Amino acid sequence: QGTASLVADSVTVDAAGRLIAEGNVEAFYDGSRLSAARIVYDQAADRLSIDGPIFLQGPDGEIVTAERAELDPRLENGLLRGARLVLERQLQLTAGRIDRIDGRYSALTRTAATACQVCDGRAPLWEIRAAQVVHDEVERQLYFENATFLIRGVPVLWIPAMRLPDPTVERATGLLVPRIRTTDRLGLGIKLPYFVTLGPSRDLTLTPYLSRETTSVEARYREAWLSGEIEATGAVSRDSLRPGEVRGYLFADGEWRLAPGRTLTFGLEASSDPDYLTDYGISDRDRLTSFVGYAAVTADSLAEAHLAYHRTFREDEVDGALPPWEGRAAYERRMAAFGGTLTFGGAAEALLRTTDGTGDLARDVARAGAFAGWQRQAILPAGFVLSGGGSVELGFYRIADDPAFDRTVTRVTPAVQATLRWPLIARGTGGTAHLLEPLLAVAWSTNRGGAVPNEDSAVVEFDEGNLDALTRYPGEDAREDGARVAVGLSYTLIAADGTELGLTAGRIYRAEADTGFDLASGLNGLSSDWLLSARLDLPLGITARARTVFDDDLEFDKTEARLAWASPTVDLSATYVYLPVARSEGREESIAEWTVDGRWQVTPSWSLAAEGRYDLSDARPVTAGFGVGWRNECVEVDVSISRSYTSGEEQDPTTDFGLEVSLLGFSAEGVGAVPPGRCRN
Amino acid sequence: QTNLNLGSIDADPSLPVEVTAESLSVDQQTGEARFSGNVVIGQGDLRLAAAEVIVVYSEASGEIARLRASGGVTFVTPTEAAEAQAADYDLTAGTLTLTGEVLLTQGANALSANRMVVNLTTGTAQLDGQVRTVLAPQGTP
Amino acid sequence: CGFTPVYAPGGPGEVLRGQVAYATPATPAGYRLRARLEDRLGRNEGAPLGLTVTLEIADEATAIGADGAQTRFTLLGRAPWRLESRPDGAVIAEGVADAFTAYSATGSTVATEAAARDARDRLAVILADQIVTRLLALSPDLAAR
Repeated sequence: QGTASLVADSVTVDAAGRLIAEGNVEAFYDGSRLSAARIVYDQAADRLSIDGPIFLQGPDGEIVTAERAELDPRLENGLLRGARLVLERQLQLTAGRIDRIDGRYSALTRTAATACQVCDGRAPLWEIRAAQVVHDEVERQLYFENATFLIRGVPVLWIPAMRLPDPTVERATGLLVPRIRTTDRLGLGIKLPYFVTLGPSRDLTLTPYLSRETTSVEARYREAWLSGEIEATGAVSRDSLRPGEVRGYLFADGEWRLAPGRTLTFGLEASSDPDYLTDYGISDRDRLTSFVGYAAVTADSLAEAHLAYHRTFREDEVDGALPPWEGRAAYERRMAAFGGTLTFGGAAEALLRTTDGTGDLARDVARAGAFAGWQRQAILPAGFVLSGGGSVELGFYRIADDPAFDRTVTRVTPAVQATLRWPLIARGTGGTAHLLEPLLAVAWSTNRGGAVPNEDSAVVEFDEGNLDALTRYPGEDAREDGARVAVGLSYTLIAADGTELGLTAGRIYRAEADTGFDLASGLNGLSSDWLLSARLDLPLGITARARTVFDDDLEFDKTEARLAWASPTVDLSATYVYLPVARSEGREESIAEWTVDGRWQVTPSWSLAAEGRYDLSDARPVTAGFGVGWRNECVEVDVSISRSYTSGEEQDPTTDFGLEVSLLGFSAEGVGAVPPGRCRN
Repeated sequence: QTNLNLGSIDADPSLPVEVTAESLSVDQQTGEARFSGNVVIGQGDLRLAAAEVIVVYSEASGEIARLRASGGVTFVTPTEAAEAQAADYDLTAGTLTLTGEVLLTQGANALSANRMVVNLTTGTAQLDGQVRTVLAPQGTP
Repeated sequence: CGFTPVYAPGGPGEVLRGQVAYATPATPAGYRLRARLEDRLGRNEGAPLGLTVTLEIADEATAIGADGAQTRFTLLGRAPWRLESRPDGAVIAEGVADAFTAYSATGSTVATEAAARDARDRLAVILADQIVTRLLALSPDLAAR
């Protein structure tokens, strides 16, 4: 038991042995601090009677002010009159009387609780008046009895009994802030999330979603271990869009770090029907993938494996022909050898189509392959960097259900490559660095063996990431044949003030055209399209990136540009994408689209947010959204409207209105975001 | 533990006083006796020690009326102990005034102040100037 | 106009080539990034310079077709890096490489899976090249250190 100590300007002891302290009186006990105008300590009755203004600060920061009080010297039990309890400097509870019990409970009678600024003569923006409020310091909960919720002094809601977490709580079971959601298809609805903590590392959120058109329950379960975590979200619904049907979805994913560099992951995506995900605004995904994956990575080796099952909601596709089942396991190792680097490894892949019959829609393919490559670098006079080497790849295919191909095929692909770089540097005025780097990459390879279906290399990209690569094909089924030369030039400017500009241009010339490349990739023909990629960073938080592929008569193919501006108050990102028709990639019509996504904190209270996606080729918006946010020290209001114009046959466009009002001051997040203004009187 | 009468000193001014000291000098005109060098004054259970004590005798009764101790005073009774730079013990008025870094301890309680006036007959006390009290809670096990 | 080869004899490149040890994330993209750094700056475990790179990759559906089909994905890559002297660990230079790659999701599931993996590997190559370029631009100051 600690001792209580008392400091004052003057102390008198009267005949009855009572000690009377006056003038700047302060009492300290075990972390609590009390200051008052006058304290009388009656040793016989073991009582402090205190005259205000009293200021009592508890060990973990809660503050009580009162006019008069009767307490024990340990400041744990007793009664305060005309008191105000302030929690975490944010939530204020004023009461006619506070009874402190065992240093744990504060029972407040005739209470008003608010987190808003209290000015004389004006009711706070919101407050909760209650006959009694008990604050449990150990459980950190506030129990209201016979409470009324008032806005600007006007009673709005009466609640017989209510429990709210006090501001020091980060995580507690209980109701979360309800959200109102209005959509064309599901009407005006309300979501009432209820959060349940199941121990320190698990929780469950159940959210009934009720509207004129649907009754559904959404659930989210999360669990974390020391070396992994799992999250599952799902819902079950009965609605008027598909009467008599039980609809729903389940998404789950998890990751476990078995050892440093070794992770096991899994993902599950299932939905009762194609439109459920967009009807309920859950996700835009139109292909669902469930998979199990494993990766083991060290400084010089990589092992990857995954097995996946796919389903499609796209109108022009059938699950069985996707292929639904596909799996892959691959290993690669790098090591120093003969003054250079030896890279070798192997891979096994398989895909299974469940549609019966033969041909493209029924074919099953299994492949096992191995490869080895060696390359070495040398610095030539005048600063040229030459790296050269060769590689060979073997592939064994088993192809079923497709008469167009032999049942088993063996392929060998030898290749040689030499790359020459010549990095040049110049120092400009003021510490600006210029870097120029010409590039010449010569490669030759040939394909010996039978024809195989091109399953994994149908979609090809051309960018500065594979300008100097041996092949642009992403997979193993297709191989570039014959001799080709890639030429490139990259220029970089780095200024002292942080401004940076990067430009890369390149082109590939071939001895013979490679029929495998589609027009859109820009790689077809004897000479590919020009590749141009640009990068700009400006010190005031602006970053721009762009990449395009265009042919000699300046006809643009794949083009993508991104702009981002991040500053303390503005967060803006804009993208532009143009994709030409690419039949071999399955794109029947060209796409030109720009998107904007921005948030502007106009004032510490007001914030604006907007996002939009506009389809230039069809000259119509795809999605648009706008949001206004207002918050002060005790309330946050977010109004949002978003409209998605995508219209499949049955889906007509949907508009979502969202209104969310959350009271700050209960539970830790959102505490003290905006400082209260001054009282205007 | 008896109920300590916090802040008051348990002493009876009417008891006889003996004074021992290394040296004594008497001033005929003022009737004051100056004891110096490890002066110890005893009165009942009370012991007062100081570097120098001036004893003032009342003209009427010739008895000791007042003791003014200085140069660091300590005060001990069976229940309390006190220290101060100087003390003025007025036996006729029954008051004891301690001045200068006064520190009084009673059992587990302690009081400190710049100045303390104790009325021994009524048991009241008045402390002023940065008063600091440390109270042991009552009824602690 | 003042351009001199970085790797000319006695040039600043010597302070970099084969003088850097790498610490990259233990992920497939981290492996590719390290392989590219080794291909371009050489490999030496006991090197006097240490380059630590972390990697953040996010993917985003870029083009949503009229029928709601997600036909294009973009991988956004950020690679904060830090060059330290070894063994004391004093930071010599740091920065953030930032780039994107993309892949189409119009092909079969196998083609899309391979395209996504290839986009991830190309992103690692582009980020590594950006870091190498910044180090080459720094080499005169490194040589003068």
